[in-house]
Amino acid sequence: MLLLTTTRDALLAPLQSVAGIVEKRHTLPILSNVLIEKHGDQLTLLATDIEIQIRTTTGGHIGGEDTSITVAAKKLQDILRALPSEGEVVVTLDDKRLTVKAGRSRFALQTLPAADYPRMNLPDGDATRFSISQKSFKRQLAQVAYAMAQQDIRYYLNGLLLIADGKELRMVATDGHRLAFASSPLEAEVPRTEVILPRKTVMELARQLADSEDPLEVVLAGNQVVFRFGPIELVSKLIDGKFPDYERVIPQNHQKLLTFERTPLLATLSRVAILTNDKFRGVRLVLGDGTLKIASTNAEQEEAQEELEVDYHGDPLDIGFNVTYLLDVLTNTHEDQIEWRFNDGNSSALVTLPGNDRFKYVVMPMRI
Amino acid sequence: MQRRIAHLDMDAFFASVELLRYPQLAGQPVVVGGRRGALAGDRLEDFPRLRHYVGRGVATTATYPARALGVHSGMGLMKAAALAPDAILLPANFDDYIRYSRLFKAAVAEIAPLIEDRGIDEIYIDLTEVPGETVELAQRIKDAVRAATGLSCSIGVTPNKLLSKIASDLQKPDGLTVLDYADIPTRIWPLDARKINGIGPRAGEKLDTLGIHTIGELAAAAPEKLIEEFGQHYGHWLTEVAHGCDERPVVTERETKSISRETTFERDLDVRADRDTLTDILVKLCDRVAGDLKRKGYVGRTIGLKLRYDDFRTVTRDITIEQATDDAATILAAVRSCLKRVPLDRRLRLLGVRVGTLLPPGEAGPRPPLPGENLRLFD
Repeated sequence: MLLLTTTRDALLAPLQSVAGIVEKRHTLPILSNVLIEKHGDQLTLLATDIEIQIRTTTGGHIGGEDTSITVAAKKLQDILRALPSEGEVVVTLDDKRLTVKAGRSRFALQTLPAADYPRMNLPDGDATRFSISQKSFKRQLAQVAYAMAQQDIRYYLNGLLLIADGKELRMVATDGHRLAFASSPLEAEVPRTEVILPRKTVMELARQLADSEDPLEVVLAGNQVVFRFGPIELVSKLIDGKFPDYERVIPQNHQKLLTFERTPLLATLSRVAILTNDKFRGVRLVLGDGTLKIASTNAEQEEAQEELEVDYHGDPLDIGFNVTYLLDVLTNTHEDQIEWRFNDGNSSALVTLPGNDRFKYVVMPMRI
Repeated sequence: MQRRIAHLDMDAFFASVELLRYPQLAGQPVVVGGRRGALAGDRLEDFPRLRHYVGRGVATTATYPARALGVHSGMGLMKAAALAPDAILLPANFDDYIRYSRLFKAAVAEIAPLIEDRGIDEIYIDLTEVPGETVELAQRIKDAVRAATGLSCSIGVTPNKLLSKIASDLQKPDGLTVLDYADIPTRIWPLDARKINGIGPRAGEKLDTLGIHTIGELAAAAPEKLIEEFGQHYGHWLTEVAHGCDERPVVTERETKSISRETTFERDLDVRADRDTLTDILVKLCDRVAGDLKRKGYVGRTIGLKLRYDDFRTVTRDITIEQATDDAATILAAVRSCLKRVPLDRRLRLLGVRVGTLLPPGEAGPRPPLPGENLRLFD
């Protein structure tokens, strides 16, 4: 039975936008598969790991019969990737086997019935909805996502706090040692809604959103969120947990202010970082009259030291940081200058962008 | 009037709390212990298995399926791994245990207010003045604990703390055992003498050499003989407890002043020739004290060393540290500094480690970060 005749790219592109969330190992074999639905000239692909579901529909697939089937997502993706990008691809379904033919290549894949494929129900009931440009949302994600915890036992930190409130959209991520905050304006007013997006959902959005003004529609309802952008619909469960009170840890009155050119500071820290090791990423910052010394040492007693001229004439300060946390904020912001505020050696430091109160990064020191 | 004292012991407490968080692990052998680490995910195959464990940690609790394989609390994890390589190893989350501990104690207090806190997972309850038939009342307490926490416990109700402690262990898990003095010959006397709280491994061994293995045999032993072997105080006490006598009241307001562990050696040890053995013993004592502190939810600032020489002279030294701790390495470092202040020219027969000036961790402030550790945002 002919399913469709198409080109490699017309099939590979939508497959790649759903197959990224398919997990390699899981208890339910069918979750290795992608659901393929052919209806008229519409082809819908859907994948899920039970926590997230991504669906994409493309049109213009002429010919073939309407049907639904599931087949191993990674195998199909590997096959399509390996085929020449030009040329016809014919997909047929016979006797529960899906056959992909292109030129003189032929692949017959096992299938599982579409009816067995788990699907996440779309949330119903009261929802908070808003629309924002893909570019804006993507940029905001990039400003905070790196600060999320990874596989932390405090499961609610393995995600990103999203707060839609009035005409503002706020994002917060923290691993308990540093915290990134970013906000952006919303066009229409929304009731205050607070959710925690799972890490995997955040990474998938960061991967798939376009750097364009095209809209991203966000629907928050119950314990789910739906993102619609372009031909893609991503449904995700939310993390049910209490995110820590982030406002409390954003310092308000740090007096010592330093302004840096971002790129040279990044270069300086990257050099000092060379003599730290994976276990101990500490660098020591010694702030004196007009100078900032940044130094590292390691277990082999090797040392690196850099000195920067700074416009600072206050009390001296001696403070340690995990250099990764400093590099993170410098590589994930793109303004020319950054501002850095300190209090004392045991207090957090606050990184902001000059003239911009929509971004804040708080990092706790390290005991050196 | 005869008293009615209950001993309530939560079943495999830490492990059971973990099962509330990871219900997919129900029925699996699970051991709680070792370092805090991140999990790869929450599917069954993501959980770390005991066979991959390398280190010196000890099991703080094991689920009943793990116990069936021979794993018990206090056992080194490497040893446990040899018995149950496929058991799942979870790090301990003391904040959670303390929270559930408060929940179950509050639930019991609603029914019977006279409670003696015996640590994070056990209490004595004086039911003498509480109305209600004993079995029905004990069941009501069990139900309340389950409703408040989702956890099961085992209760023993007898005329005193000694017997209740033994009784609560008789039908674990989810047990309910009511005993009276009349039940002692049939229910208590057949038990191993070590079942008595206060007869440790060394006293147990010594009883064995005297041909006394069960509590019944202890009860039948001549009191003078026990006093001769164990001294006036302990010998007398052995006779008392073997007959189920214990007049200790349920103490509702009791402040733990210190937590200590000590050990008498198999033979007297020489500081130089037996240095490695002594070091091992000291490290273990610190680990145990740290474990006790964590289990009871305390941190302490005064760390003490006790030494007994081969001539039975005993000396102690202590040191007060800046930040209260429950960390084995910190305790060991402090003990080592005390060790420098005692003469070590005789052989030793006993070492002890004590942590005093205790504070519940909530009142002690956050543990100070160690060098190389990042300060935390949300303490």
